[in-house]
Amino acid sequence: MKISLDWIKDYIDLDLPVPRLIEVLDSIGLLTEGWEEVDGDVVLDIETYANRPDTLGHLGVARELAAALGTRLKEPAWPLTEINESTSDLVDVQIWDEDLCPRYSGIVVKGIPVRPSPEWLSRRIRAMGLKPINNVVDVTNYVLFSTAHPIHAFDLARVEGKKIIIRRANKKEVLRSLEGDDIELSPEMLVIADEKKPIALAGVIGGENSAVSEETRDVFIESACFDPVSVRKTRKAAGIETDASYRFERGADMDFPPKAAVMAASLLSQMGGGVSRGVVDVYPNPRKTRTVMLRRHRVDALLGVQVEEPFIEKTLRDLGFQVDVQQKGIWKVRIPHFRVDIEREADMVEEIARFYGYENIPAHIPPLRTLEKAAAPSREKISKIRETLFQHGMDEVVNLSFMDPERAEVLSGDLIPVPIRNPISSKAALMRTTLIGGLLENILWNRNRGADGVHIFEIGKIFFAKEDAFREQLMLGVAMTGRVGDVHWRDRGRSADFFKLKGACEAVMRRLRYEPLAYQEASHPRFREGVVLSLHFKGERIGVLGLLKQELLKAFDLDEDVWAAELNLDLLFAKQAKAFEVEPVPKYPSVIRDVSFIADRSVPYQDIREAVERLRLPHLERFYLYDRFSGASIPRDKVSLSFRFVFRHQGRTLQAAEVDRMQEKIVSALRTRFQFHLREGGEIDK
Amino acid sequence: MDEIKREIEETRQAFEAAIGKVNDLRTLQEVRNAFLSRQRGRVTALVARLKTLAPEQRPEVGRQVNDLKTHIQETVVRLQQQLSVPVKRLEAIDLTLPGEKVYRGSPHPIHLFQEEIETIFLRMGFAVAEGPEIETDYYNFTALNFPPHHPARDDWDTLYITEEVLLRTHTSPVQIRVMEKKKPPIRIIIPGKVYRKEAPDPTHLPMFYQVEGLVVDLGITFAHLKGTLEYFLKALFHEKIKIRFRPSFFPFTEPSAEVDIGCTVCGGGKEECRVCGGAGWIEILGAGMVDPQVLKNVNIDPEKYSGFAFGLGVDRTAMFAYQIPDMRVFYENDLRFIRQFALK
Repeated sequence: MKISLDWIKDYIDLDLPVPRLIEVLDSIGLLTEGWEEVDGDVVLDIETYANRPDTLGHLGVARELAAALGTRLKEPAWPLTEINESTSDLVDVQIWDEDLCPRYSGIVVKGIPVRPSPEWLSRRIRAMGLKPINNVVDVTNYVLFSTAHPIHAFDLARVEGKKIIIRRANKKEVLRSLEGDDIELSPEMLVIADEKKPIALAGVIGGENSAVSEETRDVFIESACFDPVSVRKTRKAAGIETDASYRFERGADMDFPPKAAVMAASLLSQMGGGVSRGVVDVYPNPRKTRTVMLRRHRVDALLGVQVEEPFIEKTLRDLGFQVDVQQKGIWKVRIPHFRVDIEREADMVEEIARFYGYENIPAHIPPLRTLEKAAAPSREKISKIRETLFQHGMDEVVNLSFMDPERAEVLSGDLIPVPIRNPISSKAALMRTTLIGGLLENILWNRNRGADGVHIFEIGKIFFAKEDAFREQLMLGVAMTGRVGDVHWRDRGRSADFFKLKGACEAVMRRLRYEPLAYQEASHPRFREGVVLSLHFKGERIGVLGLLKQELLKAFDLDEDVWAAELNLDLLFAKQAKAFEVEPVPKYPSVIRDVSFIADRSVPYQDIREAVERLRLPHLERFYLYDRFSGASIPRDKVSLSFRFVFRHQGRTLQAAEVDRMQEKIVSALRTRFQFHLREGGEIDK
Repeated sequence: MDEIKREIEETRQAFEAAIGKVNDLRTLQEVRNAFLSRQRGRVTALVARLKTLAPEQRPEVGRQVNDLKTHIQETVVRLQQQLSVPVKRLEAIDLTLPGEKVYRGSPHPIHLFQEEIETIFLRMGFAVAEGPEIETDYYNFTALNFPPHHPARDDWDTLYITEEVLLRTHTSPVQIRVMEKKKPPIRIIIPGKVYRKEAPDPTHLPMFYQVEGLVVDLGITFAHLKGTLEYFLKALFHEKIKIRFRPSFFPFTEPSAEVDIGCTVCGGGKEECRVCGGAGWIEILGAGMVDPQVLKNVNIDPEKYSGFAFGLGVDRTAMFAYQIPDMRVFYENDLRFIRQFALK
């Protein structure tokens, strides 16, 4: 809301320097967002709130300032030059829908010469950032910006039948607005009509068919109250927002219509018009004044400071409230109609706090009466996942939760995306069903900017529709391509490949103590056939990892291999993790045996592993593959696999003969099952 | 007698000169023999000469000869030990070559900053709560005392899924979800993503992060709100930061406040300051006492309990804390930007 200092001086005496004035306004919640000098006047731009329509005019802001500064609010007089005709003889006002129009007042000004406004008025209109139009239109705007009450002027000659009917529009009625737009009306909309046709969209905009022009001689000034919700719905349906609708939808002062009409008539009579006798005022159900009880102890209890009683009474009275002591410490407060926001005791506590000054309220730490679990266990798990992936050289990203419908087909898989009805753009019209889309965009962005490789992950929600409900699910997405980190003279670094990805996934599972985990061959709409595994824990499929499909990569303009994994964290976190236990450090030495086999290429590692595990050798502590190669010395369809077996007894030192027997069991099992051969020289005792 | 003393001194000097040239066991042996050999050793000769001295001179000169002999013996033994250690031939190392680098990933700056915020509140005994990102109109607006069709809803530009289902515009609906399930005392923060119908520009995005706070208990006052937020802002920025509470409006708090901090970029009031635009203050938090209607909506008696709530934009605050002029960089995920935060 623009506030002119010249203008506000109509209502209060003010001689503060501008910075001090801004401080005072800030302290009572009228934040100055900026100010400028216009024609020697100073115009402030003040932030106002949806619950305070009274501050959308100079009078309301002046009232606040007067209360803050302890000065008196001035009430200018509005003298009229009357003619010998009564308003009710000149127009017939009928309200057909009292719910949508609880009060309608009006007055007629005859013989007004329509011409440019006098300089003082033009200046004020310009200060509001508007162009002066003519004296009649400018006077209506002047009243609006003065008092926050919107009024409208009709060319009386163009009101057919001299009837003003406030009614719902009929189907198929059309109103051409002052701005020249045709508005299709519907029965949900309230209009001002004459005998034959709508002449204004109530509380929103006037019609061209009754607009004041240079030929106008007599005007009818409308000053009414319209239902806020109806005005809001109407202006939304019509797609027009005006200074009037902005105020009406926030709530108008039910007491004010006759005063605003007189004010406009007074100004027009100073410009040569003659005013009809008596304001027409249709107000079928006058609103009662609200009363609210205010208890002193509640003020202290909510603010945490003792506010003096005289201060409470003075503040409320300065703001226009009527305050009566009911009994010691309890007041009965009558709320003026211009304060549509005050309905309860707490609302008045805010008024007292505003003028007491937030800066004068002390600062205390609230006492802690109970302590509870600081966070859901999932948060701690997420931290561990992030920490683990950082160690694996992966950077964390966060992408917007939207998905481009054009990419939905290639991205979405089996999930049904959730559409947004009013998206910010057509490219963000769906909620994402996978994290992969964002990760691929990040890869492209960074590759285009010179990154050798991109290894990234995101933890966030995906969304989908299922059984008439919208679901959200926490996911971990990982994607990697190329090599990250500088090439170092000692270490060539590692490029993205399946085993780097798998290692990261396994590290995450291990860190959360979700073991043992298992893999299965899988097929998945986003992954290339044959290069994807599903990851399982406790019999449930937790996620997939593998190489992304080429057509998916192509959709993101990528022509390199991208390895990716997706894990369902909601599903995973619901599982019981292995308890953390400390094992005693072994007292007795281990015996290590390295064994190399010549194996068929077609034998999967996982089968070998399971075959050894199935032997359940009690003193085989662990074993692992430490070398795998093929070359000139190895037949073409074979591969050399070197395993290290670590044997240990918890209670004594193992004898070489015992270890020999266990090793023989392993070798013969693998020979029988997979036709492995020992590699020459592969048997080394250490 | 002076003669023999001079000889002792000459012998000592001769030994020091000879031993200085020793660099292996062989030359050490030669030096040892030259001085200590039973037949030809120079010290042995001196000992033999003692007998020729007058009896009253013997003790003094004898002690001097003996000292010299002991010194030579000890020196030889020490050097023998040193020279016996086999010398491993070191390859020449260029110690100026660069050290090993372990490549470590970076946290996303928003998550990092959010963690800093959470840590401060956890210190004050707050717990962390979460809630869904797809919300109903009831939790996002109605239960928070936004009447249907109230213009206050315009301040929260909303992305809708259906008439009644939307993307939460703030983390405040989780206040309701928590209070529905749990009776006071409540002391929580609610971090999370929120959505607005905003076209992306340097200071607006359709998705960003908020951290919400809620305290409900017996005797909670506006003074507690001030104390909590002042502690938080000083911990997040620094002890001397200027803090201002000013009246504002939110449907779900009454009284309501906005909290500004003094612009740390220009120090306040520089008209050309691109961060505060000359106002000298940056708006950081919205806050207030929980509206009695909100408490009623979750069956908490506002006559008995009171509370305060607050919310801050993580992105906005991070922009200010790290001097980042454009909010969009957080979601471009340019690794040249993100990787800097590995060092934060």
